[in-house]
Amino acid sequence: MENLKTLVDSLYLLKPEIAISCVLVLVIIMDLIMDKNKTFLPYVALTGFIITAFLVVEQYFFKTSITQNLQKLLVIDAVGAFFKLIVILASCLIVYFSLISKEVKEAFDRHGEYYALICGMVIGMFFMISSADLIMIYLSLELVSLSSYVLAGFTKNSLRNSEASLKYFVFGAMSSGIMLFGISIIFGLTGTTNLLAVKSVMAAGGNSLTFLFASILIFAGIGYKISAAPFHFWTPDVYEGAPITITAYLSIASKAAGFALLIRFITLGYVQQIDASGAWQLVAGSIDWKKFFTVISILTMTLGNFAALWQDNIKRMLAYSSIAHAGYLLLGVVVLTNQGLSAVILYFIVYAIMNLGAFLVVMLIANKIGSEEIDDYKGLGYATPFLGVCMAIFLISLTGLPPTAGFIGKLYLFTALIEAKMIPLAVIAIINSVVSLYYYIRVLKHMFLTRPQNEDLVINTSFAEYVIVLVLAVPVILFGIYFTPIVNLAKNSVALFLQ
Amino acid sequence: MIINYIPILLVIAAAAGFAGLVVYSSTLFGPQSPNKEKLSTYESGMKPVGTTKERVSVKYYLVAMFFIIFDLEVVFVYPWAVQFKKLYNQYGISVFISMLIFLVVLELGYLYVYKKGGFKWD
Amino acid sequence: MNLEIILFILFSVIAAASAVIMITRANPIISALFLVLNFACLAGLYLLLNAQFIAVTQIIVYAGAIMVLFLFVIMLLRPEHDLTLQKKSKIKFMAAAAGIFVFAQLVYIIFFFSPNASQKTSVQSSINSGTIEQIGTAIFTKYVIPFEAAGYLLLAAAIGALVLAKKKFE
Repeated sequence: MENLKTLVDSLYLLKPEIAISCVLVLVIIMDLIMDKNKTFLPYVALTGFIITAFLVVEQYFFKTSITQNLQKLLVIDAVGAFFKLIVILASCLIVYFSLISKEVKEAFDRHGEYYALICGMVIGMFFMISSADLIMIYLSLELVSLSSYVLAGFTKNSLRNSEASLKYFVFGAMSSGIMLFGISIIFGLTGTTNLLAVKSVMAAGGNSLTFLFASILIFAGIGYKISAAPFHFWTPDVYEGAPITITAYLSIASKAAGFALLIRFITLGYVQQIDASGAWQLVAGSIDWKKFFTVISILTMTLGNFAALWQDNIKRMLAYSSIAHAGYLLLGVVVLTNQGLSAVILYFIVYAIMNLGAFLVVMLIANKIGSEEIDDYKGLGYATPFLGVCMAIFLISLTGLPPTAGFIGKLYLFTALIEAKMIPLAVIAIINSVVSLYYYIRVLKHMFLTRPQNEDLVINTSFAEYVIVLVLAVPVILFGIYFTPIVNLAKNSVALFLQ
Repeated sequence: MIINYIPILLVIAAAAGFAGLVVYSSTLFGPQSPNKEKLSTYESGMKPVGTTKERVSVKYYLVAMFFIIFDLEVVFVYPWAVQFKKLYNQYGISVFISMLIFLVVLELGYLYVYKKGGFKWD
Repeated sequence: MNLEIILFILFSVIAAASAVIMITRANPIISALFLVLNFACLAGLYLLLNAQFIAVTQIIVYAGAIMVLFLFVIMLLRPEHDLTLQKKSKIKFMAAAAGIFVFAQLVYIIFFFSPNASQKTSVQSSINSGTIEQIGTAIFTKYVIPFEAAGYLLLAAAIGALVLAKKKFE
């Protein structure tokens, strides 16, 4: 039955995971051997990530079916490969960010640990994205959380930083405990941890009230990772206190993995079949995910957007904005269709680029002026026109105005909602976008419409910084005008989903 | 069925009994003539100051943490050792390799902690 | 009444009593020591379920290693006023509510849950599943991948502990 030999035969499906594990081991060994000289460590990690990225791309075209998965523990498919690609590309960019970040440079003696823990997070996220078993889900979630607790408190240079780590840890421990309780109830009810087996037991007529309760408990663990309300309390403090590179990483990679896990959890555990129109038919007696997610997503985006209005620290504002974006992304899950899923995928491409871009500009400015307060941004648009214009592009895209990629992403999300005849929800989402305009534009107002406090402040941008900002800013405009490739990518990823 | 555990119970009882005996025997055999001066707390010839509830250093925590990590590692090795022969006959070398990877990863962690001075009490 | 039932009653009464004593003590160190007693009784209960491996792990890892960590952490934090937690009746009330909720949930599962035919495992196989042989076979055949992932989890934990708690790096 569970033959070890089939696992050995299907090891080729795990190439990206194996590669990234080797990178982790390599980083640690290099760190140990080359005691003092740590300058090349980021390059080792970067090379490893790029190789892994190629393996993930290869995996994207595997066209494996669900029966072929690894002992029913992991599912390898195009949707999973897509999310892995987001994670690994974000990791590459974060390593690059770290190279030019002042904060990270100052903690020079701990660079080995920094990159090793990023690798650890990537391993965890890869497993999270493809797991089909509750044990696997829990282990990978813990691996990601543990590494990110440490990374959040990595610089140790301020009280704020340690506070971020501690808060993240306390909330994380709490929600993973709740999740574990849910998992144990499900195991008690069904005698199995495999999601497919759980589904078949439940379809045969299980105790739906208890099952419902356990499902919500498990969602607590996932909701914490994607920072959906009411599990979002950690987000502002952690995003504010953590080094910016890690904040950006948490807001993209960790969220992508969380969403992939959420989609996996719903489709494997609760979706009976996908009909011809692409709608997901839920198992009889399962929790009504549609209503549940509608409530959660409205709560998440409204809370995120309205709380962001009052923020004076730009990292904190972006934290609330990322909560709001989790709400938007949940809209794609709410509809429970393949169209919704492809909208989520499309939005993730866009969100990853624009959010990383916004954090990058914040980091570059903080490197120079040493502040993250919005009040200190006064007149920066004149001191550094290049960064100012790029920041404007990223923020307008985050709002979702044309001609940026953010508009396309939101358009597809709202279209999926309207196709599923959930017009009131679409209206709420649009109102939320309008609210978000205020706080994004406020930053731009400070940058361009007020005179600088310090008239002769000039911010120079080095070549490496120019390149990376452009790499992120150009696609935001480009995909806003010519969006066929990303739309096709999103559609192709979903084409083979769950067949 | 539960009867099978009697030998283990005996071992536990013997251990507990020995520990209790050692502690008790000193009060049993030692001469005791307590007086007020003897029972008071001694601190360099002066009255004790401050609280007894001193905070301990975070270094203790580090030691306990590493203890847990490598304790858990060993916990995984027990079932492997018990089942190794049977699984080896069934599946061959891959059973050995799976444990090897696990141990290499963890020994790497050990090496790392050692090299970075995690076991040093500075 | 046979021996198993007597032992079950003994262990469960001590476990419940020690749990109550643990949460009502003002001194956290005494609480921690009662937690050890609680863990030991749980190990006894596992043994009665024929889950020897888990019973031993409970003693070695929980009652041993984790309680050592608990005690160190308590002594590390050393709250200035030991009584602060006791005085906050709001927290007490919320904790009691959460406890009652979980208890009701468990009662509901145990007494009102009707297992369906497809999942009834035979008594013998569920007795055997707790033995060290079964666990070994499961970990090293079916759950090899989670097992390796656990290795990386422990590695990350070792690195993380060092980064957070070590002041000077070499």
